[in-house]
Amino acid sequence: MSVIKKPAMKGVQRGLSPTPFHDFLAPMNLEQSWMDWAGFLSPRHFESIESEYFAIRNQATVFDVSPMRKYRIAGPDALTVMNRLVTRNVAKMRDNRVAYSIWCDEDGNVIDDGTVFRFTATDFRLCCQEPQFSWLNDVAWGFDVEIVDESLDVAGLSLQGPTSYAVLKAAGFNGVETMKPFDIRHFDDGVTVSRTGFTGDLGYELWVPNDKAAALWQHLFAAGRIHGLKPVGYEAVEMTRIEAGLLLPGKDFQSSHHALRSTRGRTPFELGFGWMVDFGKGHFNGRRALLKAKETGPRYMVVGLDIDGNKPAYDALVYHRGKVEAGHVTSALWSPTCKRNLAFAMLKAPYGIGVTDDLFVEIYRDKEGKWEKGLARARIVNRRFFDYPRRAATPPALY
Amino acid sequence: MQYDTIVIGGGHNGLAAATLLAKAGQSVLVLEKGAQPGGAVGVTRFKDGGSVPRYAHSTIALGRQEISDLGLSRHGLTGREAPLSTLLLSDDGRHVYLDGPSVAYADGAAHPDAAGFTALRDRLSRFADKLAPLVAAPPPQLEGGDWREIVGLAGLAFGIRRLGAVDSREFMRVLLSNVYDTVLDEMDDSPLAALLGVDAVLGGRQGPRAPGTVLTLLQRLRNGGNRIVPKGGMATVVDAFAEAASAAGVTIRCKTGVTAILTEDDRATGVETEEGERITCGRVLSSLDPMTTIRLTGIGQFDAEDVRRVRNIRTRGAAAKVNLSLSAMPSFTGVSDKQASGRILTAQGLGDLELTYNAVKYGEMPETPIMEIVLPGRRDAEMGATLSAIVQYVPYDLQGGWTDSAKKTLESKVLDRLEGFAPGLTASVQEAEVLTPVDIETETGAPGGHWHHGELIADQMLMLRPVPGMDRYEMPVSGMYLCGASTHPGGDVTGLPGCNAARQVLKGLKKRAAA
Repeated sequence: MSVIKKPAMKGVQRGLSPTPFHDFLAPMNLEQSWMDWAGFLSPRHFESIESEYFAIRNQATVFDVSPMRKYRIAGPDALTVMNRLVTRNVAKMRDNRVAYSIWCDEDGNVIDDGTVFRFTATDFRLCCQEPQFSWLNDVAWGFDVEIVDESLDVAGLSLQGPTSYAVLKAAGFNGVETMKPFDIRHFDDGVTVSRTGFTGDLGYELWVPNDKAAALWQHLFAAGRIHGLKPVGYEAVEMTRIEAGLLLPGKDFQSSHHALRSTRGRTPFELGFGWMVDFGKGHFNGRRALLKAKETGPRYMVVGLDIDGNKPAYDALVYHRGKVEAGHVTSALWSPTCKRNLAFAMLKAPYGIGVTDDLFVEIYRDKEGKWEKGLARARIVNRRFFDYPRRAATPPALY
Repeated sequence: MQYDTIVIGGGHNGLAAATLLAKAGQSVLVLEKGAQPGGAVGVTRFKDGGSVPRYAHSTIALGRQEISDLGLSRHGLTGREAPLSTLLLSDDGRHVYLDGPSVAYADGAAHPDAAGFTALRDRLSRFADKLAPLVAAPPPQLEGGDWREIVGLAGLAFGIRRLGAVDSREFMRVLLSNVYDTVLDEMDDSPLAALLGVDAVLGGRQGPRAPGTVLTLLQRLRNGGNRIVPKGGMATVVDAFAEAASAAGVTIRCKTGVTAILTEDDRATGVETEEGERITCGRVLSSLDPMTTIRLTGIGQFDAEDVRRVRNIRTRGAAAKVNLSLSAMPSFTGVSDKQASGRILTAQGLGDLELTYNAVKYGEMPETPIMEIVLPGRRDAEMGATLSAIVQYVPYDLQGGWTDSAKKTLESKVLDRLEGFAPGLTASVQEAEVLTPVDIETETGAPGGHWHHGELIADQMLMLRPVPGMDRYEMPVSGMYLCGASTHPGGDVTGLPGCNAARQVLKGLKKRAAA
């Protein structure tokens, strides 16, 4: 009897991948608290969530955003393709500007959100959470553009906080003082800086080819020491994201490409993104469905809630007059800066649209093995809870 | 606005749609790229005066409704033409002849499978008639259908139930099955068994073992499954459609290719011709395939999902056409002139069909081509000594491409095969015309040279044809419609896609007027 030998298997990498900044992050991560972000080792927190949160709000912090998906869309038809993709009018953007945008499927439901970097009319970058390569190729089919997935080639650092401008100045990024929010500026060593971020505060995002990532980190930390520069993890950033009123796909709404149930998709109008839909720019993906959706009105509404008490309303149900179920909370926190109990909730029409008062959330608390529930009054408020003038001041103050 | 409606493409479907709209009082312009209308129902005229149907050489019995709605009977298409007989050539010389209900060997001897075959054909024909109402209307809507449609569907279901317990169970069993198993359950493989297989796969790119081929067969078996050639040949068909259109007040402009469909504010407003002329209209009907229509309008006018679905329609054709001019009428050994006056098939069995199909998968030419042959001169002396052969399972994407020598190879394979049944035929060839799927694509615009503008198989039929969302003939751009073979119920010379599209347009107008 012959013995069948198994062919020698070449080793494949298993587990999460390090980002280009990993060698710096790892020793600083005293808690060794890591999470999976798009297949990368991403810090959940370094020391304590609280100290990192307050660092974002009071000094300067970096968050490694290298796991974000980055796509380059370049070619003669790049502008046409970008306008075909997103609901905003990219033709209205000036060169070297960033626009936050969303894109929809044929039913007008949001697929994902992200930032559109317009370098020129023939050269764009799309930065987002979910893989979009095949969708971009669908949208671009028949047009003269090249789509390159730069996700593994470009590293990103989100430099956020009141002293972030001071850090950049100290690091010799001359000219950064004239950058307005959403401006892009190119610097030496392949570093591209955009005045963007998701903390609702003064901040920048720095984009750099992988091989220049280490040098950038060392340079920033050498200059940032006296400005309190420190790395932060996902948990602290998540708190500031909610305070800033920014929605997270997969949490506050479901990407229509992931939703198996046909009723789980949400239109931009239902997410409060109606202002990003430009019907006047000609056809774009989902336009016809969105025109119809605008006419019939939203089926749901994402709202910001200000809730009585100080118990965060995680996963709470929202009731009208304490009886009729009106929706559920998608993100919640006690905001240490606003000193308010805040949440986003997905309400089913007419709640949040025609009916906006008499709302309560049912908060569950595990008190040492005993569950208690209580109804807390909630008011619909502008979901941009943390809005501070220094976010947009140009030139920013040199704290 | 110069016209109420512009129809792109003057094939029989475009003409049918135009005629119905003109009869409803619209001003209609048909723009045809070729020198004359007809599309895939053209005629090849040889140097010696003989002629032959260029592509389609028979029609599936046209529906009575279409004939009367279009007024075709006044122009030579009465619907009362005698169906073609069928001759099945066998390698062992025991050819089979079918004429009306009779099934026997060509020499008159009884065929052992005659009873089994007849029972199967009759049963499938009964099934086909139950499904026939589906063909003559837009496909059922899965949501948002009005009550008339729902009543119609209920009637259809009731009709199937009325087949009786045994038959309705059998109907459900075979509906999505393959023709190979369905036929061979009843009889041994033979040229007779191959007949139903050929009816299922002819013109397409499926083997008889492909699931869903029974449904394709059922669509062709309705109205008894008869093939018809009207008096005067296929030219009569083109002329009848064109004359009926003209009589209804349709303007037909030939040699006028369309380079763009114009839109304004998401609405079709006209077309631009090759000469750069812009003609305005209230709506555009395109008898071209969806992808060409989308390209003419601009891909950017359509959602990416629509474009993706249309991109993925299977449109590679697998049927070529060989037309021969002969010095004398061919004489098939052991066959009378009358027996050779209808369809002549060369398939030796369902197994032969399936094996021949294999070559297509790999972009190869079949060793022994399978043909459906018609001798137009046998029925109409004016056509002269000519032979028209649809050669099944000839790949669109031939390895090495369709060079002149490849075409010559196909021609000699066809002649070799014919020579075996009709000795001396090769020597009598005066002129030969080989139209590969690529030629058919170039000449008629049919994508992939596929005469259905897209495989006619279960997953591309009914509300899935041409793609979900365009199945009701309406394109997403308002005022834009499809009316060609790519739409339900598909190709073959029926005029149904065109009629259905026009009826859908008129229904929409009525609805709008009521609102």
